[in-house]
This record gives sequence, structure tokens and C-alpha cells, in this order.
Amino acid sequence: MKKIINTPEKFIPEMLEGIYAAHPDMIKSVGDDLHCLVATHKKAGKVGLATGGGSGHLPLFLGYVGKGMLDGCSIGDVFQSPSAEQMLAVTKEIDSGAGVLYIYGNYGGDILNFDMAAEMADFEEGIKVESVVAGDDVASGAPVKPGGKNTRRGVAGIFFVYKCAGAAADKMMPLAEVKRVAEKVCDNTRTMGVALTSCTVPRVGHPSFEIGDDELEIGMGIHGEPGIRRGKLIPADEIVDEMLHQILDDLPYQSGDEVAVLVNGLGATPLEEQYVMFRRINQILGEKGIKVFHTYVGEYATSMEMAGASISLLKMDAELKELLAAPADTPFFKQFQY
Amino acid sequence: MANLNADDLRKLFAVWAAVMEENRAYLIDLDSKVGDSDLGLTMSDGFRTVSQTADEFDGADIGKMAYQAGKAMASAVPSTMGTLMASGLMAVGKELKGVETLDESGMHAFFKAFLDGVQSRGKAEVGEKTFLDGLAPAVNSLAKDAESGVSMKTAAQNAAEAAHQGFLNTKGMLAVHGRAGGRGEQSRDLLDPGAAVADLLMKGFAEFASGLAD
Repeated sequence: MKKIINTPEKFIPEMLEGIYAAHPDMIKSVGDDLHCLVATHKKAGKVGLATGGGSGHLPLFLGYVGKGMLDGCSIGDVFQSPSAEQMLAVTKEIDSGAGVLYIYGNYGGDILNFDMAAEMADFEEGIKVESVVAGDDVASGAPVKPGGKNTRRGVAGIFFVYKCAGAAADKMMPLAEVKRVAEKVCDNTRTMGVALTSCTVPRVGHPSFEIGDDELEIGMGIHGEPGIRRGKLIPADEIVDEMLHQILDDLPYQSGDEVAVLVNGLGATPLEEQYVMFRRINQILGEKGIKVFHTYVGEYATSMEMAGASISLLKMDAELKELLAAPADTPFFKQFQY
Repeated sequence: MANLNADDLRKLFAVWAAVMEENRAYLIDLDSKVGDSDLGLTMSDGFRTVSQTADEFDGADIGKMAYQAGKAMASAVPSTMGTLMASGLMAVGKELKGVETLDESGMHAFFKAFLDGVQSRGKAEVGEKTFLDGLAPAVNSLAKDAESGVSMKTAAQNAAEAAHQGFLNTKGMLAVHGRAGGRGEQSRDLLDPGAAVADLLMKGFAEFASGLAD
């Protein structure tokens, strides 16, 4: 294991200390618990947006707490859910009477704890809580049947949910409307990932999985969950073709549709390679007559030092365009109105 | 007719803590075949927390006491099974809020609320090789006995037998949840560790009730 850390045990607390020290004007902890984080800026009467999950994915999750996006976040140890009690502490802090919406990824531990936190918030504090669970990873399950349960994991596409729901809340939409927007984004977002190397959880000390120097795995999850195909490394265009094919097949697109594109680095893949990928994405979308409304390239949801990337597409409509284009100002994501 | 108050429930929780402690190695062993082997630790730590919290709780409200105990358990052991058991206790708390004594049908309501709380949190069904397959037969037995006026002592023994049989019946069931679910058909040969926890809880209830008058 080769990492810039002091000790594995102090990895998360020291990372958090650094983040609070760097952004004191934007974020603060709830009481003494560094794992519970809220925006310093609170807008009266606005629906509160909270997320949470394990550490090891920066800028996910806490990086999107700020103006125009989320109001609070609880984080656990590396790849571990925070406790319901921590989620409740954040909920109490960000509620300003209009209720709170939880937006988080589709993982067992997170669901149990967020459900429990929602119940405690309602029963103990009388705070109305709604939840939207993101499951955008095409590789991790069959498409959801109407009324069925989504078995897909939540990955980088949750950024689009934060962005649009955040803008909706910022426009002072009521809880039910913000939830509707968040669900609409979930329904229209699809992601596909590729991994080239493993990450190492500091307290474990060795890579989470073995993968050959000349191999890649299409569809691998952001904690190293098995993907859909492992094979020899192939050129960037072929990787993108395979990934994008899966996404485009999953949600029917027609010529004339508009999308937002997110190319997301998993931690160790340079921006240069991400732009090589986007070049090909842009070609394919162009050939199909799909218009790119806006493009994001960079690290949005990582898996520490894993090499690889994901592609997310959000199918746009007039409402989502307006919300995606709205300004945002958080420690890890800043955007002017466009 | 028995009438249990908050102090009696504190005794029941103490028995549960002791039973989980005694069976720590047994649960670790069962869990190591399907899970990550931490079940023995989370259940002994978790129910010890439940018992301590109930002992420290000042008051006669059984519901509030169960709710606080469940919440403390959720913080102490936020693993899947820890959160599920905590959800059961918190559901009991909501159902019995303001209640200060429980008779035979009251204890049926207690375990029914526990079952419903676990089920709504875990979103599993009976027959899917989980904790529910141990507890559901016990709750059915308690319902039947409460209706026919059987003493709590006997009802608890019947419920413990039903839970044990339910646990044994998980052998042969196909797992659909958790890591065991990932093993497909191979999972049929194994006993479910979650149902073993239900078996132990009802065994503890019978042990506690054996001290009550007929």
C-alpha cells in the first residue's frame, strides 16, 4: 500500500479536519461529530436536502454541500454507511420547516439507516422526510419494471440528481415537487463504468480485487463490485463504444433528444484520458442525432486510487435544462448560470 | 393472567443480553458460513446495550423504554442485523407508547410489532430464509394462545418451540437476501443465522416467563 496518510485509523478524521479547515466559510460540522456536515448558509423556508454514504468517493458525498445543491451530509468510514443517529443529527440541523429530502445511492446499509433516520425524524421531531434512492448503474441490474424495485447501484449519475433537486429546492419548490424532480432525474439518468485497477481500503491494506496489468473490467462498481465483462485492454474508442452502447440501449433515445454528459474519473485516470473518452462519446451522439446540452468532465464520484472512468447521460427536458443550468457554489463544485 | 410492567421487561432484556452473550460463538460460527462472521459480536454487543439502556431508563412507559433501547442499539451496532433488531424494538416502542403493563395479548402485540418493524425495515417476506422465519411462527403461536387464554408461561414455551422449529425449517429454503442470497441454490443446505437470533430471543422469553406463576 502506497498512500500519503499518517495512519489508516486516522485517514478519515484527518481528511475531514482538512476539509473543514479549507472551507470554513461554506461548511461546518454538527456539534463535535465531524462525520455530520452542513452548509453554513441556511435559507429560511427552503426544503432541506441531505445525502450520505461511505467515505472514499470524494467529491461524493460531502463535496456537494453548499449553495444551490445539498444542505447536509453524513459520512461513514471508508465504504461504510453512517449511522441513523448521524443522519438524524444532520436532518434536525437542516430542517427549516419545509421538510427534508434524502437523496442517496442504492446500497443495503445506507437504505436501512436512512429509513430509520427518516422514521426517527418524523416520530421524535415531527420533521417530514421523503427519500429518493438513486440507482443509475446500468451494469448492476436489469432495467426497472414499472412499479418494480430498482436493483441497480447508485454511482456517479447521482451528481445530476443533486444538481437538479438542489436547484429546485433553491427555487423554493415544496418538498413534493423537489422529490418529483429528483425522481425524474433518476428515471432519466444512466451510467456505465470501467475499471483498470483496484483501490485499497487503508485499514485493509491490500487491493480490494486482483486485476491483470493488461486487463479491464466493464461495469465494475465503485467499491469493486463485479462488472459484466473482464477482458484484455482495448483502445479508448472501443471501450467507449461498448459502454455507451449499453447506456443508449437501456433508455430509448431518438434523434433530436438532448442529453447532459458526465465523464467521471474514478481517481487515478487523468483528465487527458477522460477527454479522449469524451471525444468519442461526442462523435457517437452526433452520429445518432443526439444533442449535447452540457458536458461535465472530471472527478465527481471516485473510488480512491482506482483507475477507470464512468459515463453518465441525463436525458433532458425543458425543466431539467433550467435546473441543471442554475448556479451552484460548493467546496467541490462551482458553476455560473449558463 | 400475567401483568408485566417495565421492570419485568428490564428482566426480559437482561435475559436476552445473557442469552446472546452465551451464544456468541454459536452465532459467529453460523454466520461464518454465509455472512461476515460478525453476527455473534453485534448481537451480544447490541442486546447488552438494550439491557443497559432499559436499566438506565427512568419511568414506567414500556413503549418509550423499548424505543430508547432500540435507538441505542442502532447507534451501538449499525450493521444490517443490528439495525434490523433496533428497528423491531423501535416499532415496539411506537406501538406500546404510553403502555405500562402487558398481559398475554399485550406480549403478543409486543412481538407482533417487533416482527412488523423488522419486516418493514428489511423488506423481506416470510419464506425467504431470514429472521422472520424464526419469529413469525412464534408470533402466530402467541396469537393463538392469547385467544384461548393460555398462561404466559405456557404461551412463551409454545412460542419458543415454534421459533425453534421455524429456525430448523430455514434449512431447505432458498436465500434471497444478503450474502447468502448470492449463493443461489447452494444456500439451501444452510441454516439461517438471522432465524437463529429469533430462536434465541424466544428461548430467552421462555426462560424469563418460566419464573412467572401459571
